[in-house]
Amino acid sequence: MFDTLNVFHTAQMMATHAGTRHAVVSRNMAHADTPGYRPADLSPFHEVAAQSAGAMRATRPGHLGGAQTRLPEPEPRADVVTDPNGNAVSLEAEMLTAVEAKRAHDRALSIYRSAMEIMRQSIGRR
Amino acid sequence: MTDFSDSLQMSVSGMRAQAMRLRLVAENISNADTPGYRRKTVTFEQAAGAEGAEGGVRSGRVKLDRSDLPRIHDPAHPLADASGHYAGSNVDLVIEVADSREAQRSYEANLKLFDQARQMSSSLRELLRR
Repeated sequence: MFDTLNVFHTAQMMATHAGTRHAVVSRNMAHADTPGYRPADLSPFHEVAAQSAGAMRATRPGHLGGAQTRLPEPEPRADVVTDPNGNAVSLEAEMLTAVEAKRAHDRALSIYRSAMEIMRQSIGRR
Repeated sequence: MTDFSDSLQMSVSGMRAQAMRLRLVAENISNADTPGYRRKTVTFEQAAGAEGAEGGVRSGRVKLDRSDLPRIHDPAHPLADASGHYAGSNVDLVIEVADSREAQRSYEANLKLFDQARQMSSSLRELLRR
């Protein structure tokens, strides 16, 4: 664990992903009554993590040969019901995604904090 | 951190647009009995965001309802013409109430998300303590 510190990196990615997803959901919610608006969403974090698992990662611009881990672009939601005015935002679905994002964010922060705690204890500080 | 300010910005734009809509509903209801008053409506459109990003919502121009004003028969009314009719307002209270409910619902949803983004960023800041 101590030579790569993967836990911190994954927790950070997860928190960033949750934050971006929340921003996307906020935009959908703001456009809840805009005619012709199609809601967008990010793919869930486990898919993003599965893509980058095992591959070499470039964590700095100077690193060669590693793929830069980046978050996916928001894509239009697939399973939507469109209103007569062309708007396809469902408040319930957006609420659900927002809560999911918040819980993922909380989880990521807990993981980060507990890993930090272990590090602190290992160097003898509390 | 920019994600959270994005998130807050979006929610605020949504709340502002819905508040504008609610204001027009209030104007319409208060003028429901004004002779010759036309119902005001507002359109929502997508605002251009910074650096080509998609922006939040913004309320467009206020438009007047073009439907015909009802002709009300009341010879004693000061505005009545020779046939005893005057033009009323085309505000329908049922529609206005339904519109205000929808605006309120959307406003609350935006407020919830605003609160959530604020909680998320403050819990992130909690990590720095200790």
